[in-house]
Amino acid sequence: MSTTTLPPAGKRTEPVSAPDRHTSDRAKSERKLGWLLAGPALAVMLLVTAYPIAQAFYDSLFDYRLTDPENRSFTGLSNYLVILTDSLWWTAVGVTALITVVTVAVELVLGFALALVMNKALQAIRPVLRAAILIPYAVITVVSAFAWQFAFDINTGFVNSWFAWLPGVDTTTDWFGDFGTSLFVICLAEIWKTTPFISLLLLAGLAQVPEVLQEAAKVDGATWWQRMRRVTLPNMKAAIMVALLFRTLDAFRVFDSIFIMTAGANGTESVSFLAYRQTISRLEIGLGSAVSVLLFLFVVLIAFLFIKGFKVDLAQARGER
Amino acid sequence: MSTKEKTGWIIGGVLIALYCLAPIAWIISLSFKAPADLANAQFLPTTPSTENYATIFTGTGSDLFLPALRNSFGICLIATFISCVLSMFAAYAIARLDFPGKKFILGTALAVAIFPVISIVTPLFNLWRNIGLYDTWPGLIIPYLSLTLPLSIWTMSAFFREIPWEMEQAAQVDGATTWQAFRKVIVPLAAPGVFTTAIIAFFIAWNDFVYGISLTSTSASRPVPAALGLFSGASQFEDPTGAIAAAAVIVTIPVVVLVLIFQRRIVAGLTNGAVKG
Amino acid sequence: MPSTEFPPRRARTGRSRGLRALGAGAAAVVLASGLAACGSDDGGVPVLNWYINPDSGGQAEIASRCTDAAEGRYTISTSVLPREASAQREQLVRRLAANDASIDIMSLDPPFIPEFAQAGFLAPVPDDVAQRVTEDVVDSAIAGSTWDDELVTVPFWANTQLLWYRTSVAEAAGLDMSQPVTWDQIVQAAQDQDVLIGVQGIRAEALTVWFNALIESAGGSIIAENSTDPEEIQLGLTSEAGVRAAEVMRDISNSGQVGPALSTANEDSTATGFESDQGGFMVNYPFVYPRGLAAVEAGTLDQATVDDYAATVYPRVDADTEAAPPYGGINLGVGAFSEHPELAYEATECITSTENQAYYFTSNGNPASDSTVYEDPEVLEAFPQAPVILESLELAAPRPQTPYYSEVSGGLQREYHPTASIDPEQTPQDATELIEAVLRKEQLL
Repeated sequence: MSTTTLPPAGKRTEPVSAPDRHTSDRAKSERKLGWLLAGPALAVMLLVTAYPIAQAFYDSLFDYRLTDPENRSFTGLSNYLVILTDSLWWTAVGVTALITVVTVAVELVLGFALALVMNKALQAIRPVLRAAILIPYAVITVVSAFAWQFAFDINTGFVNSWFAWLPGVDTTTDWFGDFGTSLFVICLAEIWKTTPFISLLLLAGLAQVPEVLQEAAKVDGATWWQRMRRVTLPNMKAAIMVALLFRTLDAFRVFDSIFIMTAGANGTESVSFLAYRQTISRLEIGLGSAVSVLLFLFVVLIAFLFIKGFKVDLAQARGER
Repeated sequence: MSTKEKTGWIIGGVLIALYCLAPIAWIISLSFKAPADLANAQFLPTTPSTENYATIFTGTGSDLFLPALRNSFGICLIATFISCVLSMFAAYAIARLDFPGKKFILGTALAVAIFPVISIVTPLFNLWRNIGLYDTWPGLIIPYLSLTLPLSIWTMSAFFREIPWEMEQAAQVDGATTWQAFRKVIVPLAAPGVFTTAIIAFFIAWNDFVYGISLTSTSASRPVPAALGLFSGASQFEDPTGAIAAAAVIVTIPVVVLVLIFQRRIVAGLTNGAVKG
Repeated sequence: MPSTEFPPRRARTGRSRGLRALGAGAAAVVLASGLAACGSDDGGVPVLNWYINPDSGGQAEIASRCTDAAEGRYTISTSVLPREASAQREQLVRRLAANDASIDIMSLDPPFIPEFAQAGFLAPVPDDVAQRVTEDVVDSAIAGSTWDDELVTVPFWANTQLLWYRTSVAEAAGLDMSQPVTWDQIVQAAQDQDVLIGVQGIRAEALTVWFNALIESAGGSIIAENSTDPEEIQLGLTSEAGVRAAEVMRDISNSGQVGPALSTANEDSTATGFESDQGGFMVNYPFVYPRGLAAVEAGTLDQATVDDYAATVYPRVDADTEAAPPYGGINLGVGAFSEHPELAYEATECITSTENQAYYFTSNGNPASDSTVYEDPEVLEAFPQAPVILESLELAAPRPQTPYYSEVSGGLQREYHPTASIDPEQTPQDATELIEAVLRKEQLL
C-alpha cells in the first residue's frame, strides 16, 4: 500500500465487526450502495461467461451437428468418453502443457533479467527501455504471429540466410515442416509477446523489496547472489507467484499463434485449437462443447492448484493484509 | 558510476530494445517489399515499394481493410468506454465502501479473466444468431466486455485505493459544495487511473482474435485481426504476404503511439492492477 | 515472511492531461457510434448480396456489370469471404444455419456443395435456368454443381491443374511432352536433370486435391460407395488404386526433387520454386502463368524463363490409365432463405454469361466452365494454354461428393501428411479407420 503520510482510506475500509445498531444501519446502506455500484459490472461479467459456459455444458450432452439440427439427440456423457479415450485429445493436452511449461519458464527467467535491468537502469535509458518493452505487450498477437511466421518462412523469411552459420540451419531449413521446429517458432513468438508482461509484474515485485534489508545484507558482506537468494527472491515470492499464475493460465489457452503459423499441422494442435476445430470446422456443436468444457475445467484446476497448492495469496500479493 | 559501467548499461539497453523491436522492424520492412521481392531472403527490401499499402488502402484489399479498420476502432472504443464506466462504479464501491460482496466481485473478475475464450464462443454464437446479434457491433462489444471488465475493475480499484478520499471532506469543510469538492478534488485524482485503465482495456480489446473470427462474417463488423487472414494475393492461390504485412503495420501504429505517449502510466496500471489490485 | 513496512511509494502520475485525453476519447466513441448508425441502404431496388471468395477484383467488376445490365431490377453488392475454401464454408454455413436471409448468391467451392444442398441451404434451381446454365458447360463443372442427380448450383468458373514444365528441361531429358506422361517419367527426368517437381504437400485442401487426382487416375475413388448416411459411406483408400496412389505420393515425396519444404508447400510456394533456376516440373493451376508474367514486369524474373513455360495434361499414375486432373473453381449457389430467389437466379445467369466468363478468365486468370469461351481469340491471346485447360477440364475428376466432405478431407490430411512418411500398407488402413470413426462421431479431428 502507499506510504502513510496520509491516513489510510478512512474508517470505512475497516471491517464492521460489532453489532452496533448505529454502524449496522450505516453498514446496511453502504452495502446497498456497494451492490448498486458494483452490480452492473458483476452482472455483465456473469452474463457473458457464466451463461455461455452453462450452455456449453448443456450442449455437450447432445449429439448435435449444426447443419443437421433435426437429428439432435441426448447422449449423456458419451461426448466426454469419446474425447477422453482419443489419443488426439491427450496429444493436444501434452502439446499445450509443453508450450505452457517452456514459455512460462523462459519468460520467468528472461522477465526477471529484464526487471533487474529496468530496476537498476540509468535514469537516461529507462524511458527508452520501458517503451521498448511495452511494444511487444501492446502488439496484436496475430500480428506477432505473422511477423515470426514470415521471418522463419522458407520463402519470405530472412532467418535461414542470416542464421545459416548455426548448426542445423541452412537456406533449406523448413521450420514449419516438423513438430519440433514448428513448436520452437511458436514458443519464440509467445515468449517475445508476453515476456514484457511478466517483467513488469516482477519489476513491481522488486520495488516492494525493502531497501533496508538489502542494505543490511550488503553491510553484512553478502554477495550479490546471496542477497538475491536470501533477500530479494523471498520478498518477491508473491509477485512471482501472481506472474506465474496469470501467465500459466494465459499460455494454456494458446490459440492465435498456432492458428496463424501451423493451423495445427505436424501435431501442433493445442486444446483451444482442438475445440475450435470441432465446433467451427466440423460443426459438431456437442463434441466441441465437450472439449470446451474440459478446457475450462483444466483452467479451473490449474488456478485451484496454484492458489491452494502453491499458496498464491492474491490478497497478500495485492498488499491487502 | 564509472564510464565502463555506463557503457555496459547502454549496451544492455540497446540489446533489449533490439530484441523488443526487431519483429516490428521486420514486419515494417516486409510491408515495403513488392510482391515479386518477397522471396529475396533478406531483411530489407531490394527496392522499397508502397505497393502493399496501395493494395490495402485503394486497391483490391481496401474493401476488406478499410471497413475492418473502422469496425476495430469503433468496437474497441465503445467496449473500452462501457467497461470503464462500469468498472468506475464497481471500483469506487470496492475501494471506498465496505460491503460483503467485495471479495466476491474481485474473485469473479479474476475468474472471468482466466476464462478460456474458446469455451464460450460457440454458445455465444448460437445465442447471437438466435437474437440477431451475430455479425453486428454489439455482438462483439458485449463479449469484449468479458475481456476488458475484469482487468479494468482490478486496475481501477488499485488506483482508487490510493486516492485520499478524505480530501473531499476537507474541501467541503473549507466551504466547497459536494459537487465542487468532487469535481475539483476527486476527479483530478481519479482521472489518471481511469485513463490508464482505458488504455489497457483498449489494448486488450484491440488484440482479440477468437471472437473476431467466430462472431462476424462480413465487413459489417469484422475487426482487423480477423480480416488479416482474408486478404487475397494477385489471384486465389497466391499468398497475400505483402498485404498482410502492410495491414499489420497499420494496426500496430495506434498501439505504438499509445505506448510512446503513455508508457509510464501503462506500466503503473499494469503493475498496480495485477500485483496490488 | 519479512515485513514490508516501507515499500517505496509509486510515482503518482500526471492529472489534468489525462482528463482532457479522456474527454477526447469519449468524443471519439460518440463519433464512432454515430458513424456506425448510418450506412444502411435506402430501399427500393432489391439489393442482392453476393458472397465472393477473394480474387483480384473480377467478381466485384462482374457484379457492377450485371447491376448495370439489370437496369434497375436489382443491384448486386459483394462481400468477401475468407481465402481458404474451408473457412469460406465455415462462414457461410454458420450464417445459413441461422436462416440468414441476407445471403442471396454465394461463390461455392465445389466439394462443399453437397453439404449445402443436403442441409437445405440452397434454393432449388428452376428448370429453365438449369437448362440454360448447363449449355456448352464442361462435364466436370456440371458434375461439380450436382448433388443427388440434381443441379443445385450454377456452374461459374472451372479450375484445373495442369502439368507445367520447362521446355528446355523436358527436351534435355528427352521427354516427349506431346504424349501423355506418367509420374514415374517425371520423377526420372527431374532426377536426371536435377530440377524441382512442384507438388503441394501442405496439410491443407491442396493435399486432398493431389491425392484425389492420383487415386482417380489409378482407377479408384476416395469414396467407393457413397451414402447420405455418414455411417454407411464406404472408403476406397485401401483398394488397389488407393494403395497405388499412396505409393506414388510417397515416391514423389522421397524423390529428392521436391524441394526442402514439401510439407508446407502450397500452390504459391511451388510456383516460386518453378520460377527459380531449379524449376523443372510442377502440377498447378493456370494462375502460375500470369504470376510469372507479373514477376517479369516487376523485374524479378527473366522473360526467357516465362517463354520456357509450357503446360500439358496432368500426369498419369500408370501409362495405360487416363489422367484424372483436379477439378476446382467456383459455382454459384442461391441462398435458401433469400428474399429474392428468382432475381438471384436471374443474376447468376448474367454473372456466368459467356462474356463475363471470358472477362474473368483473361483478367483474373480463372478458367471458364463454358467451353465456348475457349474459342475466344482474346482468351487464347491471354492464355496460350487455354486448349490444354479445356482438355484437362474434360478429363477432370471431382473430389468426393459428400455432405461430410470436411471430415473426409480433414481425416485424409491428418493421416497422409507429411507425405514423405506415407506407408502404402498402413496409411490407407489408418486413414480409413480414422475417417470412419470420425463419421461415427467417435473420434476427434
